[in-house]
Amino acid sequence: MPGWLNRSQLVLAAALLAAGVAQFLSNRLDSYVLSVAMGVGINIILASSLNLINGFTGQFSLGHAGFMAVGAYTAAVLTGKLAPQLQPIFGGHVELLFPFALIVGGLVAAVAGGLVGAPSLRLKGDYLAIVTLGFGEIIKVIFQNVEYVGGAKGLNAIPDYSNLFWVFGTTAITVYTVWALMNSTYGRGFLAVADDEIAAEAMGLNTTRYKMVAFVVGAFFAGIAGGLFAHLNNSINPSGFDFNKSIEIVVMVILGGMGRHTGVILAAILLTVLTELLRQFGDYRMVIYSLLLILLMLTRPQGLLIWPIRKSASRRTT
Amino acid sequence: MSASGLQLNRVTIRFGGLTAVSEVSATVRPGELAGLIGPNGAGKTTVFNLITGVYAPTEGTIEFAGRALTGLKPFEITARGIARTFQNIRLFGSLTVFDNVRVAFHLHLQQGPGQSLFRGPSFHREERELSERTRELLEIFKLDRVRNEPARSLPYGDQRRLEIVRALATQPELLLLDEPAAGMNPAEKVELMKLIQFIQERYKLAILLVEHDMKVVMGICQRIHVLEYGRKIAEGTPAQIRENPAVIAAYLGYEPENGPTV
Repeated sequence: MPGWLNRSQLVLAAALLAAGVAQFLSNRLDSYVLSVAMGVGINIILASSLNLINGFTGQFSLGHAGFMAVGAYTAAVLTGKLAPQLQPIFGGHVELLFPFALIVGGLVAAVAGGLVGAPSLRLKGDYLAIVTLGFGEIIKVIFQNVEYVGGAKGLNAIPDYSNLFWVFGTTAITVYTVWALMNSTYGRGFLAVADDEIAAEAMGLNTTRYKMVAFVVGAFFAGIAGGLFAHLNNSINPSGFDFNKSIEIVVMVILGGMGRHTGVILAAILLTVLTELLRQFGDYRMVIYSLLLILLMLTRPQGLLIWPIRKSASRRTT
Repeated sequence: MSASGLQLNRVTIRFGGLTAVSEVSATVRPGELAGLIGPNGAGKTTVFNLITGVYAPTEGTIEFAGRALTGLKPFEITARGIARTFQNIRLFGSLTVFDNVRVAFHLHLQQGPGQSLFRGPSFHREERELSERTRELLEIFKLDRVRNEPARSLPYGDQRRLEIVRALATQPELLLLDEPAAGMNPAEKVELMKLIQFIQERYKLAILLVEHDMKVVMGICQRIHVLEYGRKIAEGTPAQIRENPAVIAAYLGYEPENGPTV
Protein backbone atom coordinates (compact mmCIF):
# COMPACT_ATOMS: atom_id res chain seq x y z
CA MET A 1 0.00 0.00 0.00
CA PRO A 2 1.59 3.29 -1.03
CA GLY A 3 1.84 6.51 0.93
CA TRP A 4 2.70 7.28 4.52
CA LEU A 5 -0.52 6.02 6.02
CA ASN A 6 -1.20 2.37 5.46
CA ARG A 7 -4.04 0.29 6.78
CA SER A 8 -2.50 -0.52 10.15
CA GLN A 9 -1.74 3.12 10.85
CA LEU A 10 -5.27 4.09 9.84
CA VAL A 11 -6.56 1.58 12.35
CA LEU A 12 -4.32 3.14 14.99
CA ALA A 13 -5.58 6.63 14.10
CA ALA A 14 -9.17 5.41 14.27
CA ALA A 15 -8.52 3.87 17.69
CA LEU A 16 -7.05 7.12 18.98
CA LEU A 17 -10.04 9.00 17.63
CA ALA A 18 -12.39 6.52 19.27
CA ALA A 19 -10.58 7.01 22.58
CA GLY A 20 -11.12 10.75 22.20
CA VAL A 21 -14.81 10.32 21.44
CA ALA A 22 -15.20 7.92 24.36
CA GLN A 23 -13.61 10.52 26.61
CA PHE A 24 -15.98 13.15 25.23
CA LEU A 25 -18.97 10.97 26.12
CA SER A 26 -17.54 9.66 29.38
CA ASN A 27 -19.47 11.96 31.69
CA ARG A 28 -22.59 9.96 30.85
CA LEU A 29 -21.00 6.82 32.25
CA ASP A 30 -21.22 5.57 35.77
CA SER A 31 -17.93 6.31 37.54
CA TYR A 32 -17.54 2.68 38.63
CA VAL A 33 -17.96 1.42 35.06
CA LEU A 34 -15.52 4.10 33.98
CA SER A 35 -12.84 3.00 36.42
CA VAL A 36 -13.28 -0.66 35.51
CA ALA A 37 -13.00 0.25 31.84
CA MET A 38 -9.77 2.10 32.52
CA GLY A 39 -8.52 -0.84 34.58
CA VAL A 40 -9.17 -3.03 31.56
CA GLY A 41 -7.17 -0.69 29.34
CA ILE A 42 -4.23 -0.61 31.75
CA ASN A 43 -4.22 -4.39 31.99
CA ILE A 44 -4.25 -4.69 28.19
CA ILE A 45 -1.15 -2.48 28.10
CA LEU A 46 0.53 -4.59 30.75
CA ALA A 47 -0.40 -7.91 29.16
CA SER A 48 0.49 -6.86 25.60
CA SER A 49 3.86 -5.50 26.64
CA LEU A 50 4.65 -8.60 28.67
CA ASN A 51 3.51 -10.69 25.72
CA LEU A 52 6.34 -9.11 23.72
CA ILE A 53 8.85 -10.43 26.28
CA ASN A 54 7.29 -13.70 27.45
CA GLY A 55 5.21 -14.69 24.47
CA PHE A 56 6.91 -13.56 21.30
CA THR A 57 10.53 -13.50 22.42
CA GLY A 58 10.16 -16.45 24.81
CA GLN A 59 11.98 -14.83 27.74
CA PHE A 60 10.05 -15.71 30.86
CA SER A 61 9.99 -12.55 32.96
CA LEU A 62 8.32 -12.29 36.35
CA GLY A 63 9.31 -8.69 36.97
CA HIS A 64 6.67 -6.76 35.08
CA ALA A 65 5.10 -5.27 38.22
CA GLY A 66 8.54 -3.90 39.10
CA PHE A 67 8.74 -1.92 35.85
CA MET A 68 5.16 -0.82 36.40
CA ALA A 69 6.13 0.46 39.85
CA VAL A 70 9.06 2.44 38.44
CA GLY A 71 6.76 4.15 35.96
CA ALA A 72 4.02 4.73 38.52
CA TYR A 73 6.32 6.34 41.07
CA THR A 74 8.16 8.43 38.50
CA ALA A 75 4.97 9.79 36.97
CA ALA A 76 3.36 10.40 40.36
CA VAL A 77 6.39 12.35 41.59
CA LEU A 78 6.41 14.44 38.41
CA THR A 79 2.74 15.41 38.65
CA GLY A 80 2.89 15.73 42.44
CA LYS A 81 6.01 16.85 44.28
CA LEU A 82 7.77 18.22 41.23
CA ALA A 83 4.68 19.77 39.63
CA PRO A 84 5.36 23.32 40.93
CA GLN A 85 8.80 23.29 39.31
CA LEU A 86 7.54 21.71 36.10
CA GLN A 87 4.43 23.82 35.55
CA PRO A 88 6.35 26.88 34.28
CA ILE A 89 8.07 24.77 31.59
CA PHE A 90 4.70 24.01 30.04
CA GLY A 91 3.57 27.62 30.31
CA GLY A 92 -0.16 27.79 29.94
CA HIS A 93 -0.47 24.16 28.87
CA VAL A 94 -0.73 22.40 32.19
CA GLU A 95 -2.60 19.54 30.49
CA LEU A 96 0.69 18.53 28.86
CA LEU A 97 2.23 17.72 32.23
CA PHE A 98 0.46 14.34 32.40
CA PRO A 99 1.60 12.91 29.04
CA PHE A 100 5.06 14.25 29.84
CA ALA A 101 5.01 12.44 33.20
CA LEU A 102 3.75 9.24 31.55
CA ILE A 103 6.49 9.24 28.94
CA VAL A 104 9.24 10.03 31.44
CA GLY A 105 7.85 7.27 33.68
CA GLY A 106 8.00 4.90 30.69
CA LEU A 107 11.55 5.96 29.85
CA VAL A 108 12.79 5.48 33.41
CA ALA A 109 11.15 2.04 33.45
CA ALA A 110 12.82 1.29 30.10
CA VAL A 111 16.20 2.21 31.59
CA ALA A 112 15.42 -0.09 34.51
CA GLY A 113 14.54 -2.76 31.96
CA GLY A 114 17.89 -2.28 30.27
CA LEU A 115 19.77 -2.41 33.57
CA VAL A 116 18.04 -5.62 34.62
CA GLY A 117 18.16 -7.13 31.15
CA ALA A 118 21.85 -6.60 30.45
CA PRO A 119 23.18 -9.03 33.04
CA SER A 120 20.20 -11.38 33.29
CA LEU A 121 19.22 -12.04 29.68
CA ARG A 122 22.11 -14.46 29.33
CA LEU A 123 20.04 -16.72 31.55
CA LYS A 124 17.26 -18.85 30.20
CA GLY A 125 13.92 -20.18 31.31
CA ASP A 126 13.54 -20.75 35.04
CA TYR A 127 16.76 -18.93 35.85
CA LEU A 128 15.66 -15.75 34.09
CA ALA A 129 12.28 -16.01 35.81
CA ILE A 130 13.95 -16.15 39.21
CA VAL A 131 16.25 -13.20 38.49
CA THR A 132 13.38 -11.02 37.24
CA LEU A 133 11.32 -12.09 40.22
CA GLY A 134 14.15 -10.97 42.48
CA PHE A 135 14.36 -7.67 40.65
CA GLY A 136 10.66 -7.01 41.17
CA GLU A 137 11.03 -7.60 44.90
CA ILE A 138 14.11 -5.36 45.08
CA ILE A 139 12.19 -2.51 43.44
CA LYS A 140 9.39 -2.96 45.93
CA VAL A 141 11.77 -2.90 48.89
CA ILE A 142 13.57 0.18 47.56
CA PHE A 143 10.31 2.11 47.32
CA GLN A 144 9.35 0.89 50.79
CA ASN A 145 12.47 2.47 52.20
CA VAL A 146 12.66 5.76 50.36
CA GLU A 147 10.97 8.40 52.50
CA TYR A 148 10.76 10.85 49.61
CA VAL A 149 8.11 8.64 47.99
CA GLY A 150 6.31 7.89 51.25
CA GLY A 151 8.02 4.66 52.28
CA ALA A 152 5.66 1.78 52.97
CA LYS A 153 2.66 4.14 52.97
CA GLY A 154 3.34 5.15 49.41
CA LEU A 155 2.10 8.25 47.64
CA ASN A 156 -1.36 9.68 48.12
CA ALA A 157 -3.46 12.44 46.64
CA ILE A 158 -2.14 11.79 43.14
CA PRO A 159 -4.20 13.93 40.74
CA ASP A 160 -6.79 11.90 38.81
CA TYR A 161 -5.46 12.74 35.37
CA SER A 162 -6.17 9.31 33.88
CA ASN A 163 -9.18 9.32 31.63
CA LEU A 164 -10.55 7.23 28.81
CA PHE A 165 -8.58 9.14 26.19
CA TRP A 166 -5.18 8.68 27.81
CA VAL A 167 -5.82 5.09 28.84
CA PHE A 168 -7.25 3.83 25.57
CA GLY A 169 -5.02 6.03 23.46
CA THR A 170 -2.01 4.43 25.13
CA THR A 171 -3.60 1.00 24.85
CA ALA A 172 -3.99 1.50 21.11
CA ILE A 173 -0.38 2.65 20.76
CA THR A 174 0.90 -0.31 22.79
CA VAL A 175 -1.07 -2.87 20.80
CA TYR A 176 -0.01 -1.22 17.55
CA THR A 177 3.65 -1.17 18.60
CA VAL A 178 3.73 -4.85 19.54
CA TRP A 179 1.80 -5.80 16.40
CA ALA A 180 3.96 -3.69 14.09
CA LEU A 181 7.20 -4.93 15.63
CA MET A 182 6.11 -8.52 15.06
CA ASN A 183 4.79 -8.06 11.55
CA SER A 184 8.03 -7.28 9.79
CA THR A 185 11.03 -9.27 8.67
CA TYR A 186 12.97 -7.68 11.49
CA GLY A 187 10.25 -8.70 13.94
CA ARG A 188 10.24 -12.34 12.84
CA GLY A 189 13.60 -12.36 14.58
CA PHE A 190 11.85 -12.20 17.98
CA LEU A 191 9.93 -15.36 17.12
CA ALA A 192 13.09 -16.99 15.80
CA VAL A 193 14.86 -16.23 19.08
CA ALA A 194 11.95 -17.78 20.97
CA ASP A 195 11.96 -20.89 18.76
CA ASP A 196 15.68 -21.65 18.74
CA GLU A 197 18.29 -19.25 20.02
CA ILE A 198 21.27 -21.20 18.69
CA ALA A 199 19.81 -21.40 15.20
CA ALA A 200 18.85 -17.72 15.31
CA GLU A 201 22.40 -16.78 16.21
CA ALA A 202 23.70 -19.01 13.40
CA MET A 203 21.45 -17.15 10.94
CA GLY A 204 23.18 -13.90 11.85
CA LEU A 205 20.67 -12.58 14.39
CA ASN A 206 22.12 -10.76 17.36
CA THR A 207 19.95 -12.61 19.85
CA THR A 208 21.15 -10.58 22.83
CA ARG A 209 20.10 -7.37 21.14
CA TYR A 210 16.70 -8.82 20.23
CA LYS A 211 16.08 -9.83 23.82
CA MET A 212 17.17 -6.39 25.02
CA VAL A 213 14.83 -4.65 22.60
CA ALA A 214 11.94 -6.80 23.79
CA PHE A 215 12.81 -6.19 27.42
CA VAL A 216 13.28 -2.44 27.09
CA VAL A 217 10.16 -1.87 24.97
CA GLY A 218 8.14 -4.12 27.30
CA ALA A 219 9.41 -2.24 30.35
CA PHE A 220 8.65 1.11 28.71
CA PHE A 221 4.98 0.27 28.26
CA ALA A 222 4.77 -1.31 31.71
CA GLY A 223 6.08 2.00 33.07
CA ILE A 224 3.44 3.95 31.17
CA ALA A 225 0.76 1.59 32.46
CA GLY A 226 2.09 2.27 35.95
CA GLY A 227 1.73 6.02 35.42
CA LEU A 228 -1.85 5.58 34.23
CA PHE A 229 -2.58 3.29 37.16
CA ALA A 230 -1.23 5.82 39.66
CA HIS A 231 -3.35 8.62 38.20
CA LEU A 232 -6.43 6.40 38.13
CA ASN A 233 -6.18 5.10 41.71
CA ASN A 234 -4.93 8.39 43.16
CA SER A 235 -2.69 6.47 45.51
CA ILE A 236 0.06 3.91 45.16
CA ASN A 237 2.07 1.91 47.62
CA PRO A 238 4.92 -0.57 47.17
CA SER A 239 2.93 -3.66 48.07
CA GLY A 240 0.57 -2.98 45.17
CA PHE A 241 3.43 -3.87 42.83
CA ASP A 242 4.44 -7.14 44.38
CA PHE A 243 4.94 -10.59 43.01
CA ASN A 244 1.17 -11.21 42.87
CA LYS A 245 0.75 -8.34 40.43
CA SER A 246 3.43 -9.78 38.15
CA ILE A 247 1.79 -13.18 38.28
CA GLU A 248 -1.58 -11.64 37.45
CA ILE A 249 -0.07 -10.23 34.23
CA VAL A 250 1.72 -13.49 33.43
CA VAL A 251 -1.58 -15.34 33.79
CA MET A 252 -3.19 -13.02 31.24
CA VAL A 253 -0.39 -13.74 28.78
CA ILE A 254 -0.51 -17.50 29.29
CA LEU A 255 -4.30 -17.66 29.23
CA GLY A 256 -4.39 -15.52 26.10
CA GLY A 257 -1.91 -17.86 24.45
CA MET A 258 1.75 -16.86 24.56
CA GLY A 259 2.49 -14.77 21.51
CA ARG A 260 -1.07 -14.16 20.31
CA HIS A 261 -2.16 -10.57 19.95
CA THR A 262 -5.94 -10.89 20.20
CA GLY A 263 -6.00 -13.73 22.70
CA VAL A 264 -3.89 -11.83 25.21
CA ILE A 265 -6.06 -8.73 24.87
CA LEU A 266 -9.17 -10.83 25.43
CA ALA A 267 -7.62 -12.52 28.45
CA ALA A 268 -6.74 -9.13 29.94
CA ILE A 269 -10.34 -7.97 29.47
CA LEU A 270 -11.82 -11.21 30.78
CA LEU A 271 -9.68 -11.44 33.90
CA THR A 272 -10.11 -7.77 34.80
CA VAL A 273 -13.88 -7.93 34.48
CA LEU A 274 -13.99 -11.28 36.23
CA THR A 275 -12.12 -9.87 39.24
CA GLU A 276 -14.73 -7.11 39.48
CA LEU A 277 -17.71 -9.42 39.06
CA LEU A 278 -16.43 -11.69 41.80
CA ARG A 279 -16.22 -8.88 44.33
CA GLN A 280 -19.73 -9.71 45.52
CA PHE A 281 -18.50 -13.09 46.79
CA GLY A 282 -16.26 -11.42 49.34
CA ASP A 283 -13.74 -13.83 50.84
CA TYR A 284 -14.54 -16.55 48.33
CA ARG A 285 -13.48 -14.33 45.46
CA MET A 286 -9.96 -15.65 45.08
CA VAL A 287 -11.14 -19.24 45.49
CA ILE A 288 -13.58 -18.87 42.62
CA TYR A 289 -11.07 -16.93 40.58
CA SER A 290 -8.45 -19.65 41.00
CA LEU A 291 -10.94 -22.39 40.19
CA LEU A 292 -11.96 -20.56 37.02
CA LEU A 293 -8.31 -20.22 36.06
CA ILE A 294 -7.76 -23.94 36.51
CA LEU A 295 -10.87 -24.66 34.47
CA LEU A 296 -9.76 -22.32 31.69
CA MET A 297 -6.28 -23.79 31.57
CA LEU A 298 -7.71 -27.31 31.39
CA THR A 299 -10.12 -26.51 28.59
CA ARG A 300 -8.02 -23.98 26.71
CA PRO A 301 -4.39 -24.89 27.29
CA GLN A 302 -3.28 -23.23 24.04
CA GLY A 303 -4.90 -19.94 24.91
CA LEU A 304 -8.38 -18.49 24.72
CA LEU A 305 -8.36 -18.02 20.99
CA ILE A 306 -6.68 -20.52 18.79
CA TRP A 307 -6.18 -19.30 15.30
CA PRO A 308 -5.03 -21.65 12.59
CA ILE A 309 -1.28 -21.47 13.16
CA ARG A 310 0.09 -18.15 11.92
CA LYS A 311 -0.81 -19.15 8.40
CA SER A 312 -1.69 -15.79 7.04
CA ALA A 313 1.09 -14.06 8.93
CA SER A 314 3.73 -14.35 6.24
CA ARG A 315 1.48 -12.82 3.63
CA ARG A 316 0.18 -9.96 5.64
CA THR A 317 3.12 -7.60 5.54
CA THR A 318 3.80 -7.80 1.83
CA MET B 1 49.63 -19.09 2.88
CA SER B 2 46.77 -17.96 0.75
CA ALA B 3 44.66 -15.15 2.14
CA SER B 4 41.38 -16.55 0.96
CA GLY B 5 39.09 -19.35 2.01
CA LEU B 6 38.90 -20.94 5.41
CA GLN B 7 42.07 -21.77 7.27
CA LEU B 8 42.44 -23.70 10.49
CA ASN B 9 45.93 -23.31 11.96
CA ARG B 10 46.81 -25.93 14.59
CA VAL B 11 43.43 -25.58 16.27
CA THR B 12 43.07 -27.25 19.64
CA ILE B 13 40.24 -27.29 22.14
CA ARG B 14 40.20 -28.91 25.55
CA PHE B 15 37.19 -29.45 27.76
CA GLY B 16 38.73 -29.96 31.17
CA GLY B 17 41.07 -32.91 30.74
CA LEU B 18 39.60 -33.99 27.42
CA THR B 19 41.25 -32.79 24.25
CA ALA B 20 38.38 -32.91 21.79
CA VAL B 21 40.27 -31.43 18.86
CA SER B 22 44.05 -31.44 18.74
CA GLU B 23 46.24 -29.34 16.47
CA VAL B 24 44.02 -29.61 13.43
CA SER B 25 45.16 -27.66 10.41
CA ALA B 26 43.05 -27.56 7.27
CA THR B 27 42.17 -25.30 4.38
CA VAL B 28 38.94 -24.96 2.45
CA ARG B 29 39.54 -22.95 -0.70
CA PRO B 30 36.88 -20.65 -2.17
CA GLY B 31 34.45 -22.64 -4.28
CA GLU B 32 35.77 -25.97 -3.07
CA LEU B 33 33.54 -28.84 -1.99
CA ALA B 34 35.37 -30.40 0.94
CA GLY B 35 34.47 -33.23 3.26
CA LEU B 36 35.27 -33.82 6.90
CA ILE B 37 34.94 -37.44 7.96
CA GLY B 38 35.88 -39.59 10.87
CA PRO B 39 34.48 -42.23 13.20
CA ASN B 40 31.91 -41.34 15.85
CA GLY B 41 33.26 -38.93 18.43
CA ALA B 42 36.23 -37.91 16.29
CA GLY B 43 35.47 -34.23 16.83
CA LYS B 44 33.84 -33.33 13.52
CA THR B 45 30.95 -31.36 14.96
CA THR B 46 33.32 -29.76 17.45
CA VAL B 47 35.34 -28.46 14.50
CA PHE B 48 32.12 -26.95 13.12
CA ASN B 49 31.37 -25.38 16.47
CA LEU B 50 34.87 -23.93 16.56
CA ILE B 51 34.54 -22.44 13.09
CA THR B 52 31.14 -20.92 13.85
CA GLY B 53 32.18 -19.45 17.18
CA VAL B 54 30.10 -21.66 19.45
CA TYR B 55 33.39 -22.66 21.10
CA ALA B 56 36.60 -20.64 21.20
CA PRO B 57 39.76 -22.64 20.43
CA THR B 58 42.09 -23.20 23.38
CA GLU B 59 45.03 -22.88 21.00
CA GLY B 60 45.47 -22.09 17.34
CA THR B 61 43.66 -19.69 15.04
CA ILE B 62 40.89 -19.81 12.48
CA GLU B 63 40.92 -17.41 9.56
CA PHE B 64 38.35 -16.71 6.91
CA ALA B 65 39.02 -14.59 3.84
CA GLY B 66 42.31 -13.49 5.39
CA ARG B 67 40.80 -12.28 8.67
CA ALA B 68 40.95 -14.02 12.02
CA LEU B 69 37.63 -15.20 13.44
CA THR B 70 38.97 -15.27 17.00
CA GLY B 71 36.62 -13.87 19.60
CA LEU B 72 33.70 -13.33 17.24
CA LYS B 73 30.21 -14.38 18.29
CA PRO B 74 28.31 -16.84 16.10
CA PHE B 75 26.16 -14.13 14.51
CA GLU B 76 29.24 -12.08 13.65
CA ILE B 77 30.83 -15.09 11.99
CA THR B 78 27.68 -15.60 9.94
CA ALA B 79 27.99 -11.95 8.95
CA ARG B 80 31.52 -12.71 7.67
CA GLY B 81 30.00 -15.20 5.25
CA ILE B 82 29.93 -18.59 6.96
CA ALA B 83 26.54 -20.27 7.31
CA ARG B 84 25.76 -23.67 8.75
CA THR B 85 23.18 -26.36 9.23
CA PHE B 86 22.88 -28.54 12.30
CA GLN B 87 23.30 -32.25 12.86
CA ASN B 88 19.98 -32.40 14.70
CA ILE B 89 17.84 -30.11 12.60
CA ARG B 90 17.28 -26.72 14.20
CA LEU B 91 14.52 -24.98 12.32
CA PHE B 92 12.27 -22.30 13.74
CA GLY B 93 9.53 -24.86 14.27
CA SER B 94 6.57 -22.59 14.92
CA LEU B 95 7.40 -20.24 12.05
CA THR B 96 6.20 -21.00 8.56
CA VAL B 97 8.58 -22.33 5.93
CA PHE B 98 8.40 -18.91 4.31
CA ASP B 99 9.30 -17.08 7.52
CA ASN B 100 12.15 -19.46 8.28
CA VAL B 101 13.83 -18.33 5.09
CA ARG B 102 12.71 -14.72 5.30
CA VAL B 103 14.16 -14.21 8.77
CA ALA B 104 17.53 -15.48 7.53
CA PHE B 105 17.84 -12.41 5.29
CA HIS B 106 18.33 -10.53 8.55
CA LEU B 107 22.00 -9.71 7.88
CA HIS B 108 21.04 -7.83 4.76
CA LEU B 109 18.14 -5.92 6.26
CA GLN B 110 17.99 -2.14 6.12
CA GLN B 111 15.11 -2.02 8.59
CA GLY B 112 15.13 -2.15 12.36
CA PRO B 113 12.54 -1.63 15.09
CA GLY B 114 12.02 2.00 14.01
CA GLN B 115 11.11 1.12 10.44
CA SER B 116 8.80 -1.70 11.59
CA LEU B 117 6.85 0.86 13.60
CA PHE B 118 6.94 3.66 11.08
CA ARG B 119 6.18 1.46 8.06
CA GLY B 120 7.16 4.02 5.46
CA PRO B 121 7.52 3.39 1.71
CA SER B 122 11.09 2.10 2.03
CA PHE B 123 9.94 -0.44 4.61
CA HIS B 124 7.26 -1.76 2.28
CA ARG B 125 9.66 -1.83 -0.64
CA GLU B 126 12.11 -3.90 1.37
CA GLU B 127 9.41 -6.27 2.59
CA ARG B 128 8.21 -6.81 -0.98
CA GLU B 129 11.74 -7.38 -2.19
CA LEU B 130 12.48 -9.90 0.55
CA SER B 131 9.22 -11.75 -0.09
CA GLU B 132 10.18 -11.97 -3.72
CA ARG B 133 13.64 -13.32 -2.96
CA THR B 134 12.28 -15.75 -0.41
CA ARG B 135 9.71 -17.04 -2.87
CA GLU B 136 12.43 -17.41 -5.48
CA LEU B 137 14.62 -19.48 -3.16
CA LEU B 138 11.68 -21.65 -2.14
CA GLU B 139 10.80 -22.24 -5.77
CA ILE B 140 14.34 -23.23 -6.71
CA PHE B 141 14.38 -25.77 -3.89
CA LYS B 142 10.82 -26.94 -4.48
CA LEU B 143 9.50 -25.82 -1.12
CA ASP B 144 7.06 -23.20 -2.40
CA ARG B 145 4.12 -25.60 -2.15
CA VAL B 146 4.49 -25.80 1.62
CA ARG B 147 5.56 -22.24 2.26
CA ASN B 148 2.71 -21.48 4.63
CA GLU B 149 3.10 -24.64 6.68
CA PRO B 150 4.82 -24.45 10.06
CA ALA B 151 8.36 -25.77 9.59
CA ARG B 152 7.96 -28.50 12.18
CA SER B 153 5.13 -30.11 10.24
CA LEU B 154 7.34 -30.85 7.22
CA PRO B 155 8.57 -34.34 6.40
CA TYR B 156 12.14 -35.03 7.49
CA GLY B 157 13.77 -34.65 4.09
CA ASP B 158 12.05 -31.34 3.48
CA GLN B 159 13.20 -30.09 6.87
CA ARG B 160 16.80 -30.89 5.96
CA ARG B 161 16.39 -29.08 2.67
CA LEU B 162 14.72 -26.11 4.31
CA GLU B 163 17.62 -25.81 6.72
CA ILE B 164 20.01 -25.60 3.79
CA VAL B 165 17.83 -23.04 2.03
CA ARG B 166 17.65 -20.98 5.19
CA ALA B 167 21.45 -21.03 5.47
CA LEU B 168 21.70 -19.92 1.84
CA ALA B 169 19.48 -16.93 2.56
CA THR B 170 22.26 -15.47 4.70
CA GLN B 171 24.25 -15.35 1.43
CA PRO B 172 27.35 -17.19 2.61
CA GLU B 173 30.65 -17.77 0.87
CA LEU B 174 31.18 -20.92 2.86
CA LEU B 175 28.43 -23.34 3.77
CA LEU B 176 28.96 -25.85 6.57
CA LEU B 177 26.70 -28.89 6.37
CA ASP B 178 26.61 -31.07 9.47
CA GLU B 179 25.57 -34.58 8.47
CA PRO B 180 22.92 -33.59 5.95
CA ALA B 181 22.35 -37.19 4.91
CA ALA B 182 21.68 -38.48 8.42
CA GLY B 183 18.45 -40.41 8.56
CA MET B 184 17.85 -40.31 4.82
CA ASN B 185 17.01 -43.29 2.67
CA PRO B 186 19.18 -44.13 -0.38
CA ALA B 187 16.91 -42.31 -2.81
CA GLU B 188 16.91 -39.19 -0.66
CA LYS B 189 20.70 -39.39 -0.40
CA VAL B 190 21.06 -39.36 -4.18
CA GLU B 191 18.77 -36.32 -4.27
CA LEU B 192 20.87 -34.65 -1.60
CA MET B 193 24.12 -35.21 -3.50
CA LYS B 194 22.62 -33.58 -6.56
CA LEU B 195 21.34 -30.74 -4.43
CA ILE B 196 24.72 -30.05 -2.84
CA GLN B 197 26.48 -30.05 -6.19
CA PHE B 198 23.79 -27.81 -7.62
CA ILE B 199 24.22 -25.32 -4.79
CA GLN B 200 27.98 -25.25 -5.17
CA GLU B 201 27.76 -24.56 -8.87
CA ARG B 202 24.89 -22.12 -8.82
CA TYR B 203 25.97 -20.01 -5.87
CA LYS B 204 29.72 -20.39 -6.40
CA LEU B 205 30.35 -21.08 -2.77
CA ALA B 206 32.65 -23.32 -0.79
CA ILE B 207 31.05 -26.19 1.08
CA LEU B 208 32.45 -28.14 3.99
CA LEU B 209 30.53 -31.31 4.63
CA VAL B 210 30.59 -33.44 7.74
CA GLU B 211 29.19 -36.81 6.84
CA HIS B 212 29.10 -40.39 7.93
CA ASP B 213 27.83 -41.74 4.69
CA MET B 214 30.84 -42.67 2.58
CA LYS B 215 28.88 -42.89 -0.62
CA VAL B 216 27.85 -39.26 -0.29
CA VAL B 217 31.28 -38.00 0.74
CA MET B 218 33.25 -39.98 -1.82
CA GLY B 219 30.72 -39.18 -4.49
CA ILE B 220 30.82 -35.40 -4.36
CA CYS B 221 33.76 -34.08 -2.34
CA GLN B 222 36.83 -32.79 -4.14
CA ARG B 223 38.97 -32.97 -1.05
CA ILE B 224 38.53 -34.91 2.16
CA HIS B 225 39.94 -34.36 5.64
CA VAL B 226 39.87 -37.26 8.07
CA LEU B 227 39.73 -36.92 11.84
CA GLU B 228 40.27 -39.56 14.48
CA TYR B 229 40.30 -38.89 18.22
CA GLY B 230 40.43 -35.18 17.50
CA ARG B 231 43.57 -35.42 15.39
CA LYS B 232 43.75 -35.12 11.66
CA ILE B 233 45.09 -38.34 10.21
CA ALA B 234 44.72 -37.78 6.50
CA GLU B 235 43.82 -35.36 3.74
CA GLY B 236 43.42 -35.89 0.02
CA THR B 237 41.17 -36.66 -2.89
CA PRO B 238 38.53 -39.38 -2.49
CA ALA B 239 40.78 -41.82 -4.35
CA GLN B 240 43.71 -41.10 -2.06
CA ILE B 241 41.59 -41.37 1.07
CA ARG B 242 40.16 -44.71 -0.06
CA GLU B 243 43.70 -46.15 -0.26
CA ASN B 244 45.04 -44.51 2.89
CA PRO B 245 46.04 -47.21 5.41
CA ALA B 246 45.54 -44.94 8.45
CA VAL B 247 42.00 -44.17 7.36
CA ILE B 248 41.19 -47.81 6.70
CA ALA B 249 42.52 -48.76 10.11
CA ALA B 250 40.53 -46.02 11.82
CA TYR B 251 37.34 -47.10 10.17
CA LEU B 252 37.76 -50.87 10.31
CA GLY B 253 38.47 -50.54 14.00
CA TYR B 254 35.14 -48.91 14.67
CA GLU B 255 32.57 -49.19 11.93
CA PRO B 256 33.52 -51.90 9.45
CA GLU B 257 30.17 -51.73 7.67
CA ASN B 258 30.76 -48.07 6.96
CA GLY B 259 34.29 -48.62 5.75
CA PRO B 260 35.79 -46.42 3.10
CA THR B 261 35.92 -49.26 0.59
CA VAL B 262 32.16 -49.11 0.06
